[in-house]
Amino acid sequence: MRRTEGFDVDVVVRRRPRRSDPFVLQAEFGTAIGITVVFGPSGAGKSTLLMAVLGAIAPDRGRIVAGGRTLFDSDSGTDLAVRRRRVGIVFQDALLFPHLDVAGNVAFGLGATPREARRRGALAALDRVGARDIADLMPAELSGGQRQRVALARALAPGPSALLLDEPFSALDAPSRKALGETLLDLQRGTGVPFLHVTHDLGEAVRLGSDLVVLDAGRVVQVGPPQRVVAAPAAEATARAVGTENLFTGVVRSHFPDRGYSEVDLGGTVVETGLLDVEPGRSVALGLRAEDILLAVERVRGTSARNVLAGTIAELSSLAAAVEIRVVTPVVFRVVVTHEAVEQLGLSRGLAVHLLIKAHAFHRLL
Amino acid sequence: MILHALRLSLMASALATAAVAIAGTLTGWLLARREFRGRELLDALLTLPLVLPPTVTGYYLLVVLGRGGVIGSPVYRATGWSMTFTWAACVVAGAVMAFPLMVRAARVAFEETDGRHEIAAASLGHGWLSTFVFVALPLARRGLMAGVILAFARSLGEFGATLMLAGNIPGRTQTLPLAIYDAVISGQDRAAAWLAVMLTAVSVAVMLAAGRLGRPGSARR
Repeated sequence: MRRTEGFDVDVVVRRRPRRSDPFVLQAEFGTAIGITVVFGPSGAGKSTLLMAVLGAIAPDRGRIVAGGRTLFDSDSGTDLAVRRRRVGIVFQDALLFPHLDVAGNVAFGLGATPREARRRGALAALDRVGARDIADLMPAELSGGQRQRVALARALAPGPSALLLDEPFSALDAPSRKALGETLLDLQRGTGVPFLHVTHDLGEAVRLGSDLVVLDAGRVVQVGPPQRVVAAPAAEATARAVGTENLFTGVVRSHFPDRGYSEVDLGGTVVETGLLDVEPGRSVALGLRAEDILLAVERVRGTSARNVLAGTIAELSSLAAAVEIRVVTPVVFRVVVTHEAVEQLGLSRGLAVHLLIKAHAFHRLL
Repeated sequence: MILHALRLSLMASALATAAVAIAGTLTGWLLARREFRGRELLDALLTLPLVLPPTVTGYYLLVVLGRGGVIGSPVYRATGWSMTFTWAACVVAGAVMAFPLMVRAARVAFEETDGRHEIAAASLGHGWLSTFVFVALPLARRGLMAGVILAFARSLGEFGATLMLAGNIPGRTQTLPLAIYDAVISGQDRAAAWLAVMLTAVSVAVMLAAGRLGRPGSARR
């Protein structure tokens, strides 16, 4: 069923840059309230889509509904001005107003309320992103992570009906990324505002997204829950973008610090990973290279691999130099083996197999 | 007489600069931010006074604003007042000559700031005027100030167009550059030297101020 409470988009946008080829974005998707992640290689049309939702670019035709508000509809002649859309934006480089202090930046969208009320509103918004203590600093004095927090507070302060994020993490280091990812998830849950988050980092998409929209060459090639899209790339473009990486979101069950591993439930399949710095009960995003999985046709004993998972081959697809095999355990693992291995082991659909995975082959994303 | 020339020069330049600062900033912003038909043609037309001999620009101004001019004639018939040979003509001539410099400086100043700031301001509920005043202007202020100073310097040194439109009437429309010309012609060498030094000093001070505000290479692109 097509969900539309978050974003309901069906547009054709033609751009005619003066010095390059015209570009056409043809996007149709509907997503739930949550974080809709738009993923795709550069040049896929992610930013064009974002600017169309924001109102900075006018689509040729179609409809854009965000958080229940119709922003653009060529049938009814609706085309709200940027300032009437109540859609917030956080740019890749934060883009705070350099001549205003942090509180001034956040208060900028609070309209013609009295000075005191604006200040209070700005501080409250900064509080929500954990940046109240830097209210009196100038943007030039902030770290990259702090800037993005202030940009988030600025965009959310006026109470928008949707929030757009244009690769907000791409300029940050890993710890800031991780911390800001948590903040983003908390903010979305706390406000109930649908987020549209553009990224070209698949780990980020899986970690944050409630819906994943894959764009390629101006077209939507796949929409769905991130983990499902990653486990079963329906289009070649998605597969190319996803690569041979397995991406999972799981719940940490318990830690065994003395033995150096953690147990994670990937959604029906429990695996052992290297020790994770995540509280039991919390979710974690993990990556696993398809090349790091060994496949056996018999139950293997006496192996150093911490994970021996029983499963069934669901599909084999030929890649250029190898074969990609999807194994249901019930969680789907993508395994890459050579053509020779397929022949020698007689691998085929429906065959029962075992997967051998070292605990440390799992790596944490974001 | 010399004092009058100095006072007229400073006052006319100040008024011309004030007008040019406002009109030039808005025009520069339009050229930098808005896509419209004939944008480059408009830019070329506005640049014309920079490349034409000032006397040619002054001639066109006479054709338009003179007693028999396109605009000047109906104004004269209605009010009995003509701009030619008045101090107002000094202001107009200075403004027209300084306008292209201000527009260029403003266009570059706005183009050097990230236009997404203005999009962000609009997404926060601000209309174009409020965005212009609270975001675009403060971000471009250094380049704009440099433009204002250049415009002032240009109108202070204005000679050809002023001569055509305002004449050279000592005590009425004779500005400092015109007074220097008169002094040289009539053999008053000391007066000419003093006036020249005075104008040079003002110009050097203005250029120093402009150099401090405008970053290297920001005056052209």
